[in-house]
Amino acid sequence: MLEEILEIFRSNMMDIPILKPIILKLEGVPVLNLIVSLIFWRPFFAVIIIPGLISLVLYLLYIVWFERKLTARVQWRVGPLEVSRPIRGAIQALADGLRYFFQEAIVHVDAHRPYFIQLPILAFIPVLLPILFIPAGAVVGIRTPYSVQLIVAFIALIPLTIIAIGWASNSRFAYIGSVREAFMYFGYEIPLIISVMAMILVYGTGDAYAIVKKQSILGIFLNPIAFLVYIVSMLMATSRLPFEIPEADQEIAFGPFVEYSGILFGLVMVIAYEKLYLMALLFVILFLGGWSGPVIPTLGDLLPPIWLFVKTVVVISILVIVRSIYARYRLDQALRIGWTSLLGASVLSLILGIIVGVWLG
Amino acid sequence: MDEYRVDVPVKPPQEFRSYFIPVPPEFVEDVYRSDDYLVLVGPQHPGSGHMRLIVRVKGDIIQEVLPDPGYVHRGVEKIAENRLYIQNIPLVERPSIMDAANFNLGYVRAIEDALDIEVPERAKYLRTILAELCRIGTHLYDAAILAVFMGHTTGFMYPFGIREIVCECLVRMTGARFTSSFIIPGGVRRDVDEKTLRYVYYATLAIANRLKSFERIFINNPTVIARLKDVGVLTRSEAIKFGLVGPFLRASGVEYDVRSVEPYEVYDELTWDIPVSDDGDGYARFLVRVNEINQSLSIIRQCITRIPDGRVISEQIIENGKEIRGNFFDVYSDLVLPPGEYTTVTEAARGLVLFSLISDGESNVPYRLRVVTPGWLYLRGFMESLKGERLADLQAIYGSFGYFPPEADR
Repeated sequence: MLEEILEIFRSNMMDIPILKPIILKLEGVPVLNLIVSLIFWRPFFAVIIIPGLISLVLYLLYIVWFERKLTARVQWRVGPLEVSRPIRGAIQALADGLRYFFQEAIVHVDAHRPYFIQLPILAFIPVLLPILFIPAGAVVGIRTPYSVQLIVAFIALIPLTIIAIGWASNSRFAYIGSVREAFMYFGYEIPLIISVMAMILVYGTGDAYAIVKKQSILGIFLNPIAFLVYIVSMLMATSRLPFEIPEADQEIAFGPFVEYSGILFGLVMVIAYEKLYLMALLFVILFLGGWSGPVIPTLGDLLPPIWLFVKTVVVISILVIVRSIYARYRLDQALRIGWTSLLGASVLSLILGIIVGVWLG
Repeated sequence: MDEYRVDVPVKPPQEFRSYFIPVPPEFVEDVYRSDDYLVLVGPQHPGSGHMRLIVRVKGDIIQEVLPDPGYVHRGVEKIAENRLYIQNIPLVERPSIMDAANFNLGYVRAIEDALDIEVPERAKYLRTILAELCRIGTHLYDAAILAVFMGHTTGFMYPFGIREIVCECLVRMTGARFTSSFIIPGGVRRDVDEKTLRYVYYATLAIANRLKSFERIFINNPTVIARLKDVGVLTRSEAIKFGLVGPFLRASGVEYDVRSVEPYEVYDELTWDIPVSDDGDGYARFLVRVNEINQSLSIIRQCITRIPDGRVISEQIIENGKEIRGNFFDVYSDLVLPPGEYTTVTEAARGLVLFSLISDGESNVPYRLRVVTPGWLYLRGFMESLKGERLADLQAIYGSFGYFPPEADR
């Protein structure tokens, strides 16, 4: 039976010329060969390593540190430094995570206990599901011609878990935060979906492979309005300033997450960052040519995932500077932006998308 | 849609009794019967300071706010009755440590008023410089708090960075970062040399320079203007009715400044404007204080260029040209004021501060010290301006008033 499993893995292995001698040598060893062929099995590699779970964790550790460091540079400060001086405090986020892990997670009396504890963990489901459909070259979990639509649909599920978290917390500020999250959800979701639709019209398909192949001119230049709408919707969707309204810590003390502590707080706080990662992956595929980039032949199948990841991280690293520039809008102002100018711009981008789509054929 | 009242049996949550909230139970029941909602902001809330705000909201609109101050009440007035007059100087600075020199000045002027002490010119100039430095520091501090209340962390860090220059000036002049107790009855503790004054002069230029980058990132920021404009508006008549003071009164269009109405120290010899705005909203309250920083910088520069030579302590306090150093307790420990009540009004950074000193003419401690701080005076106007605004605006209005609970509670 082991042989059959091994055969399944080997039938869809990644082709990496530079690692080939090592893999061939390891395949002679009885147990190791199973592990090695599992790691380099394409679906597994996509979901767990790049652009999946491990790169997600690496990205989280990097972006929390980088955001703090960048904000500090803007604000005449140094930022995190003391945790690991030789690398400028780069493992600060890891240290914070460890601290959260050993802190007591308090469940208060009024909370709906089962939901309160399981919802932060359940929130990972809509985060990890889209990764199945995000392709990176030959590395893909599930290959489907509707990948972009599926990714958008799964991303749209994330606010539901946040609203449920607020409901399970059963506190005043959590209640207000949940209501704000629901309002914001309606504010950005429609322009976001319309801008993605505009890009699907430009390319004539929702298949990520066809989209990347068609981008001899980058998507940004094909439909700049959709690009702008997507960026603003991305800021709104991930509660980043100036739209950090559901979690406004000075107003409603982190809103839906007010009652969480310990590792549960650590889990709920990274939901927004994970969502940002997913939306940036989709952004790179739609607007920045996806995994295409300069080819290094020796890396083979490993190269497209790396390009996708690097592009995503660069996009997010540019986006995090808004934290040090803007103040927070009020809920009604953000909704007004979402329902008027953003919605209007998204409809414009749809019209432009149809024109460009016809022109591209 | 019309509203109609339905009498349903409601039971307010237990916490409203167990938290010792100073509202009658009928009020809570009335809120729960109607379509309203009671939000307790503070005293552990990140955006409330050391006070509790009992906010009654209908949907997202604030109907009424009841303040519950007193969490940092330290009984300054009562403690003052058991201390020597000179020992009270560090005490009266404590309510508002950022604004120490103005509070110190108000108290000391009450003593000088009682003893009829004429202060030397050089000491007057030094006192004015100190008072204006503390005013700049307080305004920067309040701007920083306003920024962080709106989630603008850069707007929080820049003023605190600029404030370091002010603190450095105070360190070089007095030896302490803010609560320096430098102003004493009859003058100041020590003379300040020419080099230090020149440092302060250049520091004002540096502050003006750095304020420009603060203006770019925060004051002219569209999100900041969107949050503060037309929020928490108090008209001219309302501002007078609710007894606002200081920059908040001037932001509503009333040109009243104690420094020009009843000049003390050297304010009548200098040229400066009173920044006034007619809008009365949160942004006007903020801009008036930003303009006051510029005026204060100009006042400090004028003081340094005009400062005369001479003694810094009055002849009536210590004779024969001696210094106060080394003779401090000989001079001040048996200070007894003639019987009567002595009141001074001073323009502190957040507004008018009143010191009223009552002496029985026999003891070397005050019979009664009354301190009315600006925070306490404009609390009513602050609460009134919140009505009809959104819940998210509570922090923006709070920041625009720069309400400082330790100062109000004393």
